[in-house]
Amino acid sequence: MTRIDATAQRGFDRVLGAENVISDRARLRSYECDGLTGYRVIPALVLLPRTAEQVAAAVRVCAEHGITFVARGAGTGLSGGALPVADGVVISLQRLRRVLAVDPVDRLAVLEPGVTNLEITKAAAPYGLYYAPDPSSQQVCTIGGNVAENSGGAHCLKYGFTTNHVLALEVVLADGSVVTLGGDTTEQLGPDLRGVFLGSEGTLGIATKVTVRLLRTPEAVRTLLADFPSVAAAGEVVSDIIAGGIVPAAVEMMDTLAIEAAEAAVCAGYTLGVPAALVVELDGPAQECHNQFERVKAICEAHGCTRLHIAADAEERAAIWRGRKSAFAAVGRISPDYFVQDGVVPRTRLAEVLSRIGEMGEAVGLRVANVFHAGDGNLHPLVLYDASAGETARAEKLSAEIAELCVELGGSLSGEHGIGTDKACSMPKMFSEADLELMGRVRDAFDPGGLCNPGKLLPTPRLCGERPGKYRPHPLEAAGVIERL
Amino acid sequence: MTIATVLRPTSLAEAAAALADTTGSVRIVGAGTAADWAGSPEPADVVLSTTALTGVIVHNPGDMTVAVRAGTPLRELNAMLAVHGQRVASDAARVDLGATIGGLVATADAGPSALVYGCLRDLVIGATVMLADGTVARTGGHVIKNVAGYDLAKLVHGCHGTLALIAELVLRLHPLPGATSTVRLIGSLADSAEAARAVLASPLEPVACEWSNGALLVRLAGTPGALPARLATLLGSAARRLDAAEQEAAWAAHAALVAGPGSRPHVDRAVLRVGARPSRLPAVIAELTSELGATGVTAGLATGVGTVTLPADPDVVARAHQLVYGVGGSSMLRSRPPGCVAPAWGPAPSAIEVLRAVQAELDPRGRLGAGRFHPWM
Amino acid sequence: MSTPSAFDPHRPPSRELLDDCVHCGFCLPTCPTYQLWGEEMDSPRGRIYLMSLAEQGEIGLDGALHEHIDACLGCMACVSSCPSGVRYDRLLEAVRPQLERNVPRSRSDRLFRNVIFALFPHRRRLQVAAAIGVVYQKLRGLPAMARLTERVAGMGATFARLAALEALLPPVRLRDAFAALPERIPAAGTARRRVALLTGCVQDVFFHQVNVATARVLAAEGCEVLVPRHQHCCGALELHSGRELSAIARAQRTIATFEKLPVDAIITNVAGCGSSMKQYGELLADDPAWATRAAAFSATVRDVHEVLAELEPVAPRHPVRARVVYHDACHLGHAQGVRAQPRAVLRTVPGLRLVEAAETELCCGSAGIYNLVAPDAAAELGARKAANIRAAHPDLVVTANPGCLLQLRRHLAATSGDAFVPLMHPVQVLDASIRGTAPAMD
Repeated sequence: MTRIDATAQRGFDRVLGAENVISDRARLRSYECDGLTGYRVIPALVLLPRTAEQVAAAVRVCAEHGITFVARGAGTGLSGGALPVADGVVISLQRLRRVLAVDPVDRLAVLEPGVTNLEITKAAAPYGLYYAPDPSSQQVCTIGGNVAENSGGAHCLKYGFTTNHVLALEVVLADGSVVTLGGDTTEQLGPDLRGVFLGSEGTLGIATKVTVRLLRTPEAVRTLLADFPSVAAAGEVVSDIIAGGIVPAAVEMMDTLAIEAAEAAVCAGYTLGVPAALVVELDGPAQECHNQFERVKAICEAHGCTRLHIAADAEERAAIWRGRKSAFAAVGRISPDYFVQDGVVPRTRLAEVLSRIGEMGEAVGLRVANVFHAGDGNLHPLVLYDASAGETARAEKLSAEIAELCVELGGSLSGEHGIGTDKACSMPKMFSEADLELMGRVRDAFDPGGLCNPGKLLPTPRLCGERPGKYRPHPLEAAGVIERL
Repeated sequence: MTIATVLRPTSLAEAAAALADTTGSVRIVGAGTAADWAGSPEPADVVLSTTALTGVIVHNPGDMTVAVRAGTPLRELNAMLAVHGQRVASDAARVDLGATIGGLVATADAGPSALVYGCLRDLVIGATVMLADGTVARTGGHVIKNVAGYDLAKLVHGCHGTLALIAELVLRLHPLPGATSTVRLIGSLADSAEAARAVLASPLEPVACEWSNGALLVRLAGTPGALPARLATLLGSAARRLDAAEQEAAWAAHAALVAGPGSRPHVDRAVLRVGARPSRLPAVIAELTSELGATGVTAGLATGVGTVTLPADPDVVARAHQLVYGVGGSSMLRSRPPGCVAPAWGPAPSAIEVLRAVQAELDPRGRLGAGRFHPWM
Repeated sequence: MSTPSAFDPHRPPSRELLDDCVHCGFCLPTCPTYQLWGEEMDSPRGRIYLMSLAEQGEIGLDGALHEHIDACLGCMACVSSCPSGVRYDRLLEAVRPQLERNVPRSRSDRLFRNVIFALFPHRRRLQVAAAIGVVYQKLRGLPAMARLTERVAGMGATFARLAALEALLPPVRLRDAFAALPERIPAAGTARRRVALLTGCVQDVFFHQVNVATARVLAAEGCEVLVPRHQHCCGALELHSGRELSAIARAQRTIATFEKLPVDAIITNVAGCGSSMKQYGELLADDPAWATRAAAFSATVRDVHEVLAELEPVAPRHPVRARVVYHDACHLGHAQGVRAQPRAVLRTVPGLRLVEAAETELCCGSAGIYNLVAPDAAAELGARKAANIRAAHPDLVVTANPGCLLQLRRHLAATSGDAFVPLMHPVQVLDASIRGTAPAMD
């Protein structure tokens, strides 16, 4: 299966040391999938560089030999963004995990891509600073992966996404050259290529150094957990909070099934059996936070909240978040198999989309658990099924339909998990031929040879079938390097 | 020299036709508030004005997003949104001069409150752009959270009329603050840098922290009930809370410095926008002042972004770029007198080849905005 | 058409347990070997993936699976961090015996492991070794002996392992190595509990004073303590290394020794012993003659801190003014979930200030016999742990496992030039506080 020729292999051995090149089949297989295990491809090699220079050198070998490469962080992605390419190499960035600098005066940190999201905050904490984006997998996922996916997290309603916090990127391009995108401030020298790279899912190059802004730890944080007699009531609370001019740090909603799973996993103190629970967190200067928190409590009560639990201390707050953040993986405790979906609808259509999801689930006889970032309309329906009962295909179809329903309601195919392999073929549902072609042109500008994480994000005829419209031959095809079968 | 055809489309279709049905070079203009920024435009065959491409397409207050045509002045948009207690949280100096939202995005302009709300690149969640061949493409969407596909709105943020025409934008909105107050702390730039550091280390969470006209202006936003107590910690012999009129005047004066003397004949001064790490900004501004005679200083002591007014002399400006680059910063020339040939840009960024490749892909014949990135591309 | 499993039919890892892993990766940051090497195969997720492939017959037991399972410290930090409740502990304990049975080891590896298992579980042999050790430690002071040690250490993998063994040897007083507790220690005042104490093998020879302190503290807190004379090794090291048959034999012997005692709890002060004895129920579940007895036994096993934390303190405490870092032994924290109790017990000591070191969840590299069979990785982890502990500036470090004590002693000493940091078992601190003596710091 390895179709990497001996010269290229020697090239990798030379730049990395043979002991840092994995070529035996069993070991390669442990890299065959990321957090989305439904897609598996065995790579030809896995490379384990230690430095940015080694990454660039390895990419140069790839470029020289026309070998495709896929960068991989912690492999927690849920869209198959780090799915290897057969005949290609995986470049693991797990050995580049130094915090290169924390500058408390300019409030920024410089990181290697393998540093985990949570480590940034740990490194900044002694200075009273933190890194704002906090995806649920923050203890594992790496800043490199966050850059690739433009990760958000529970607090992005107020603080934004990775793109809002990254100042500069050192990037290895597909030809092995190293460039810096962005700079020490938000001032730009021309178009924001930094912003284009963020969220490009590894298709434009490999980030080898990331400079992020750090924020001052807020003076006060108040968190409440409120139970509601219906999802609709909880949804109205969210609307009223926003309409009241309050921008909470986070507003999260969980339904009965999601609560059941989270409680089974971490016993965080959620009420079993309630139709909906909201986690609302406010932060900021103490007095401001206090004033707004009182208003939020009043809004909850006005909508028939059946239990209002206010975290008394950091430990109770952590418990509430532990419940929320473990919810995905915890669903494994209440169902043998499940698909995690990630779609976005305009916040005002939350109730509508939830009832539609409920109906769709009922129609095909599958349960759907819902965990979502209610403040920004980002849903995570978890379609529960039993593979051994032959429910896989039905569940997969339902899950895909839910994502497409989000688009139909004016939202998006993905709020944070990315398009990756999983949703590339759904992209034409959200974007026109012209939109996709423009993306394709930008991709070509960065990576004319198509070596960088091919097959991800953009639909390809090979994966999704021929689409109508003009076909642009792949540059390698035009150059006679590859041919279509 | 040929006389340029001026086209003023009123719809997406007309705009597309304006590009598709013409040949030759195109200069895109909005309200003209930044016409003399960046590289000097080469003479164009077609001038495409966005000033008739105006109006809100859709505003859903509950979602806190608005879709708007790019030629809409932000001032007007915000006046309309204010009725709903909302706004596009950008306070760039040009907003009050009538700058269009598209123009503000194309020039990557930002004001003091970018400290908290970010630049427009952080507020744009979707865009409709038009390529030089008239192709209409959309990027992003209408929801705040969205990672589907490349975020190509970023590509036009700071494109200065190259790459593509910005036709429509979708923006995320913020609530209008219940109350806003400003404290003025009199002090030198160096002393104010220390003061700013203390403010930033405190729990005050200022929305702006700018030095200009011999004082540090610290703006706080919040609820009327809590604001006075928060401010109190800042007050002292050299620090005073400004009343409403003073507050407005102080920030208007700041904006006037950022805007500079304007590109009038006989005003031989040019505005340089400077970005450097906050800790390095005061020193580099001191150098620009002492060595090159910079005046009209504004310094974002938390953002690291400042502006200075310099003699519009090519050597002076070139030296200014050099000084700023010397501390790892970046600089760009803004308004200057007509005919000024001072270099708009410093050394090319390391990714210039990528930028050229993007231009080659999107606008292979280089129709749009020629000269804006001279001499880079 | 699926290929047959690579595992033999005797207790292979179950498909259900393997399928519990959803590949989320939450285990990665807590896995010591993943922290060291950053390779998927040396993470819990990767190891489960390899097990799963072997179970499906897609890879063999030798090669990748064997090497990466061998490299696992068995610290079970992944079990603590798994949101899906994957039982990596059970998977590992199913796979290790399979590998021991089915994959031949190299001659030198086999010999070295045989030496370890011929020595450690045997109290009398350990006593002899300790005696030799005392002589050796005296000799080591001589320059010629030191040179010899250095030469031996430079002679490749096997010698590196021997050097690791040497470096770990604690200073032992011969009197302690051969000492024994009385068979019954009465409670001070009214007895609130009657308990039996496992004195352990390594513990009793190298850390006899910990057993003495344990008995005194329990008695002071109103426990009558029974110490069966003819107790043997509980089999922890063998159980955790996949030597299933001998582990079973030791488990049966230990059950037989303790089950007839009329006690409320069987107590151990060793993390590794506690976790293995609590597992006897599972280990012997398939044996009809032993299943019930083993389950009953395991249900009675308690770590000493669990019992102390339950009992309202009655013995007056004297202040011990010290900043103390409590190091979570993996087999106590991760395997038994006992984290709060030792801290709670230490907090009953006036003047004592508990401080947390960074990366508390990360293994110190001791891990049973790991620092003997994989000295390089263990040394790296030991150094990292020592640096984290030093950064917390403790006056005293406490931990409830002899392996951790030995490992930490070595690495806290290795960063010489820094202040000397004494090490103890938590009950020794409590004992000193109750008796009003300064903690006898080693």
